[in-house]
Amino acid sequence: MFRLTPETLKKLSRFREIKRGYYSLLILGFLFLLFVVGELLINNRALIVSYEGELYFPTYGEFHPGTDFGQSYTYETNYRDLKDAFAEADEGNWVLLPLVPYSPNENHSTSGVFRPEPPSLEYRHYLGTDTTSRDILARLFYGTRTAMFFAIAFTVAVYGVGIAIGAAMGYLGGTFDLLFQRVIEIWSNIPFLYMVIIIFSVVPATFAVGTRIMILLVVMVMFSWTTMTYYMRTETYKQKVRDYVASARVIGASDARIVFKHILPNVLATLVTFMPFTVISAITAVTALDFLGFGLPPPTASLGELLKQGTSNLRTAPWIVTAAFSTLVIVLTLVTFIGEAIRESFDPKKFTVYK
Amino acid sequence: MFGQLSRKLRDTFAVVLAAGLLVACGGSEEEVSTGDITQEVNDYYAAHPELFQFKTPADLPADLSWENGMELPDLGSPEATKGGTEYNYVQDFPRTLRYVGPDSNGAFRRYLLDDVTLPLAVMHPDREFEFFPGVATEWAVDQDSATVYAKLDPDARWSDGEPVTADDFLFTFFFYRSEYIVAPWYNNYYSTTFANITKYDDHTLSVTMNTAKPDFFYHILDLRPEPQHFYNDLGPDFVERYQWEFVPTTGPYVIRDQDVVQGRSISLTRQDDWWAKDKKFYRNRYNADRIVINVIRDPNNAFEAFKRGDIDQFGLNLAEHWYEKLPNNDPDVQAGYIQKEVFYNQRPRPNYGLWVNTSRPILSDQHIREGIQYATNFNLVIEQFFRGDYSRLNTASDGYGEFSHPTLAARPFDIDQALEHFAMAGFTERGSDGILVNEEGQRLAFTITTGYQTLADVLTILREEGLKAGLEFRIEVLDQTAAWKKVQEKQHDIALVALGVGVEMYPRFWDTMHSDNAYDDAFLEDGSVNPDREVKVQTNNMEMVAIYEMDQIIDQYTQSNDREAMMEMSHQMLEMHHNHASFVPGFVQDFYRVGHWRWVRYPEFFNHRTSDSASQLYVHWIDSDMKEATLEARDNGEAFEPVITEHDQWREQ
Repeated sequence: MFRLTPETLKKLSRFREIKRGYYSLLILGFLFLLFVVGELLINNRALIVSYEGELYFPTYGEFHPGTDFGQSYTYETNYRDLKDAFAEADEGNWVLLPLVPYSPNENHSTSGVFRPEPPSLEYRHYLGTDTTSRDILARLFYGTRTAMFFAIAFTVAVYGVGIAIGAAMGYLGGTFDLLFQRVIEIWSNIPFLYMVIIIFSVVPATFAVGTRIMILLVVMVMFSWTTMTYYMRTETYKQKVRDYVASARVIGASDARIVFKHILPNVLATLVTFMPFTVISAITAVTALDFLGFGLPPPTASLGELLKQGTSNLRTAPWIVTAAFSTLVIVLTLVTFIGEAIRESFDPKKFTVYK
Repeated sequence: MFGQLSRKLRDTFAVVLAAGLLVACGGSEEEVSTGDITQEVNDYYAAHPELFQFKTPADLPADLSWENGMELPDLGSPEATKGGTEYNYVQDFPRTLRYVGPDSNGAFRRYLLDDVTLPLAVMHPDREFEFFPGVATEWAVDQDSATVYAKLDPDARWSDGEPVTADDFLFTFFFYRSEYIVAPWYNNYYSTTFANITKYDDHTLSVTMNTAKPDFFYHILDLRPEPQHFYNDLGPDFVERYQWEFVPTTGPYVIRDQDVVQGRSISLTRQDDWWAKDKKFYRNRYNADRIVINVIRDPNNAFEAFKRGDIDQFGLNLAEHWYEKLPNNDPDVQAGYIQKEVFYNQRPRPNYGLWVNTSRPILSDQHIREGIQYATNFNLVIEQFFRGDYSRLNTASDGYGEFSHPTLAARPFDIDQALEHFAMAGFTERGSDGILVNEEGQRLAFTITTGYQTLADVLTILREEGLKAGLEFRIEVLDQTAAWKKVQEKQHDIALVALGVGVEMYPRFWDTMHSDNAYDDAFLEDGSVNPDREVKVQTNNMEMVAIYEMDQIIDQYTQSNDREAMMEMSHQMLEMHHNHASFVPGFVQDFYRVGHWRWVRYPEFFNHRTSDSASQLYVHWIDSDMKEATLEARDNGEAFEPVITEHDQWREQ
């Protein structure tokens, strides 16, 4: 059974004491929970359809053509229309729709033309629609979900690479260190955003959206792992000459064991402190790429794309930019609060005074 | 509003490449101009005696019937007054003041060349292929020899005071055939189109075409002179030497050195003593004393500048601008400060649509292509996205009058028909995501490539609708050059592209539909498909149309000089193309819309038939007194009658 050391428990309880960070974590955790079950909340597929005595759960799994529910068409059932049809026929069939009954990609115009429509409770477009009458809440939700999951995957990957190489540099030292320092110096001088734009512009669109996200992730990690290595390197250098490392070596521990079992836990504070900021930089980078039009292919929902629409319709459809901008600010603020709290609680000097 | 990939774009690529080479070898070759081009030009004339001939007026054929077009109606409004300053904007500062060579084919060129300088004679915008004088006062067309004779206006002057002479036209041929200008398209056009130019005296000349196509005289009358005296230093350093030199013009506007503020603004100034200012067809046009063009990179900022009154007029072609950003109930419109106008014009239409690459595995199937036709809901796009303002394009060559097909109509959106056709091609089952699959498990999914960022929304709508018919469109929006390159390399499945066209009499077919432009040796001797044929890249046959019978008709069409026969062949080919189902006709905009401040005045009828934008023909004028009054009224909160007008006298039904 995994047991926490008293030291760690103390850090955690200190984290709980920092209310701002603690509540931010709770809110963000709740958001994540929502993201995971997103399809149940915001979707144009119904949650439950009761048709001729049988129950259907269309949310996940195969699509149901209209003919499944006695409609005349063979394409995917429009559950909103189906609900109205059932209500009208009054034969005991019913449909339970999600809270927001729209998918992020469908054009749903209430006026017969595709135009930005202001928020409306009546049509359940709670944040209004964008320039082609797509529900903003749905696009915002799925866009943020992609960005968040992307950011986490990005952080894990950057840390994995950064820790491995940084620790090796610090621990092995010598020529290896010298060589890698030069490599990193050269590598980190390549302008990151331009490289992503260049590489991404030649990636064929035939790849599925998932594949494209993976490629984007790999490319971004390729150009972002360098910063982490330097912190890791200095920390490892510092720890390497400590007595506990020497004793471990005397006992006969292998290099890998020393680095990952002994040194790594001791430099955790540094690593954890930077984590939220890495998340933030990932979210910002994806948003920026989408804003510039080099991110995910249309019609994938994304924060950047919404921001772009919002800024070009600032006067005529202010609700687009308001929604996208507030979301970005809120998410980034929450992550920053958590980051600050972690840094503070992991700081060994409880009463630090900065001068 | 949507940039069109013009036919010339391809040439622009060549141009850009050539410029790269020039820079690359610039270090080793230190050639400089000699300072006097006369000798070189004369040697060139002597070396090409077929092309350049010198005769005397006595050699002119006696039985020519001279025309001068003076019976045609005048342009513009007699109410127009000269004066005032017009404020306008461009998105990018022009990269050069040259109008030939690298970087010259930009948005600014119309201020330097297209809309302002005078050719021999000008097609009257309200008539079909009838001309009025440009720098020529009279001309005679000899159908049999494909020759046009022209007498130049003795008044015609370059803006630096030198007279325009027949020598300038001879020099034009030297100039455009010269490699110095780094313009392969022009090099090719001037080398292959014309057979001869003859000077009879300083003001009389004739030009002969290689073929007597029905519109050959148009291509000759459209020739514009180049000032030989100005290009004295012409040489291998042309591109750099003339980069920021304003070329003397036959038109009304000049650009003075002090009016070029790099990266910020550029201004045109009207010549007070312009030689054509009192002549019919010109006296009511080119009215503003100055046209100040500021650089505003972001279209949204440009619109805001217009709303402030810093820009006098703004194109409102996009539904977003017309209905959302400047709606009819906008306070400035209701108070009559800004007027909104719609003008229906008549000219060949850019053919927006889906160009299906028939050399692709599944797309080579006729049934699939017909299915795609029925599964593409352009009607919804037109009705709901363009708000019913645009109309459906019916063939790839609409707007050519009698040469366009009178009855063919694009196939409507029809899910049942689409499913039927897909089923005929073996796509019968829907997969778990609703997309059709065939027995081998292939999904019915294709990528649509486009370079038009503004049309990405259109594609998302088509995608959502296509899903209903079990067809998936993947959307690929690339940078304009990258998209065009991909299509030219025939790497696309389906492309959303339009070819832009000037006013021409009849459509071109060879470029887009002849097998010469699809494959190397597409067919064997007996007309059967060559099994070893290879895809030919860098051509405009973007559908990879290769039909043996079609080739035969195109060849006949190219050779024919008979208008009636060509018309018939054109209809026949459009029908074949329709049946081939490789082009999904998109939409067509048969109007332009503009918003302008009250002080920008237009004639009662607003504009002429073939105009492509409100200011193309310069029939508007700036009323400075009215500007002052309007600004004062706005400050005091006084209102005028709102003006929202639709000019549909040229609307085609």
